[in-house]
Amino acid sequence: MTLDTRAEAGAAPASAWPIRLDGVSVTYPNGTAALRDVSLTIDAGEMVSVVGLSGSGKSTLIRAVNGLVPVTSGTVTVGPYTVSGLSGRRLRQVRGHIGMIFQGFNLATRIDVYRNTLVGRFAQAGALRGLLGVPTAHDREVALSALHTVGMLDKVWTRAGSLSGGQQQRVAIARALSQEPSIMLADEPVASLDPPTAHAVMSELERINTERYLTVLVNLHLMDLARQYTRRMIGLRAGEVVYDGPAAEATEADFEQIYGRRIRPQDRLGDRT
Amino acid sequence: MSGTTAEPAARFEVPPRPRTWPRRALIVSALAAFTVATCLPAIGGVEIDLGAIARNWRHGAANLSALLQPNWAFFPRTVQPMLETLQMAFVGAAIAAALSVPLTLWAARPTNPNILTRSAVRAVVNVFRAVPDLVWATILVAMVGVGALPGLLALVLFNVGIVVKLVSEAIDSAEHPYLEAARAGGATQHQINRTLALPQNLPLFLNQWLYALELNVRISAILGIVGAGGIGRLLDERFGFFAYGDVSVIILEILVVVLVIEAASNILRRRLA
Repeated sequence: MTLDTRAEAGAAPASAWPIRLDGVSVTYPNGTAALRDVSLTIDAGEMVSVVGLSGSGKSTLIRAVNGLVPVTSGTVTVGPYTVSGLSGRRLRQVRGHIGMIFQGFNLATRIDVYRNTLVGRFAQAGALRGLLGVPTAHDREVALSALHTVGMLDKVWTRAGSLSGGQQQRVAIARALSQEPSIMLADEPVASLDPPTAHAVMSELERINTERYLTVLVNLHLMDLARQYTRRMIGLRAGEVVYDGPAAEATEADFEQIYGRRIRPQDRLGDRT
Repeated sequence: MSGTTAEPAARFEVPPRPRTWPRRALIVSALAAFTVATCLPAIGGVEIDLGAIARNWRHGAANLSALLQPNWAFFPRTVQPMLETLQMAFVGAAIAAALSVPLTLWAARPTNPNILTRSAVRAVVNVFRAVPDLVWATILVAMVGVGALPGLLALVLFNVGIVVKLVSEAIDSAEHPYLEAARAGGATQHQINRTLALPQNLPLFLNQWLYALELNVRISAILGIVGAGGIGRLLDERFGFFAYGDVSVIILEILVVVLVIEAASNILRRRLA
């Protein structure tokens, strides 16, 4: 697809936002310290991976960015907003600018692709339209163009639950894109997918980053995906940043330091097929 | 031939079987003693006079034989009250279905995170459900007078109690991954409930709405006994005149109607599953 047809379809290129974490700590009510004094800056338009084993705090880190997890101390800043401390309408407004995709796709399975995608327009709805749940013509156009972008327009009236995993993740990406976001968060987006589909979804994220000029923050636990698709990599271990540097040059020793153990075969997905 | 199969078994060291029968015997005898004790009027048990069956058998047999001779000529007079009963059942179930939608979503945790309003709705609904249907009907007859209206109101209250409790508990125990995605996108709880949670959980609602309808047909057949309209009032009246042939027709009619409604509802529910 060319950039011209995309512009015609109504997908205006959004402006990317930087992400800043200053001394961020998150301690859950059960006493688990998920993040310990994390400070980092991600520039507008960067594509950064966060690598770590499960329990390393990478899900918490990504959820601190859009306020799904409230920080215990420190500040989180996205673009012009300070997320930490926000609640209610202001928080929803900021979240409207931050798209997010999940390991489990998180679609409403009994509902068609169209209405699942329109969820991305909720933050833009006025009070009355929000109450009635009626989308505007512009909402429909943005949602359909997002589906077109990820190649799922032909499935627009299909129930989300009857799609394959890769197709569901594409719809989830379309849902996030229809927010016309400035930041895209991805929490283990390919962990539930088979290798070819995983590569396809990672390429999609890469394309979003370059073509739409979005800041992309993606959680991964596989070393080769981080090396292949992202330039910068942040390694998390027990809630602390143990690596922050170019992803392509990260050595086996770096990964062993992030994982806190030797490299195993299951730490790699395998090459593009 | 037997040697090959028996040999390995002999080598097993089967641990001694625990002796459970003394405990079982104790429990059974305790239950038996309790049951006997409840039937001894001397220590406050219920007075059950089994001799009454023997003394009144002639009376009982006469009534029974009268019941076994349905007076079919009476049938035309039952049609109108039976239609009233069915009307009460359907209209009651329909009104309760409409009321149950907002109440259920307010009573379930995923669709109402506010603990105060959630507990309040649950408390009110539990009162609806805890009061038996016939008690509701009796109270309402005293409040609004004899007729179909108090019966209808009793059914609505009872149905709302059942549907809200069962469906809200089913929503509580199910996974709702789409909620996190919609929250991450800046959606309000109302937008989520209206466009995602309700359609996603509609099968749960439909199932319990049908169940409420089944219950209504059965209950509304006897609501007339306390003056709340329908076939029950005719049943009470014919019983008062000792017209057992007429009573027999009414009972058979209720039986057929209940069976037909249950069969239809079963077919519908299987379609939904």
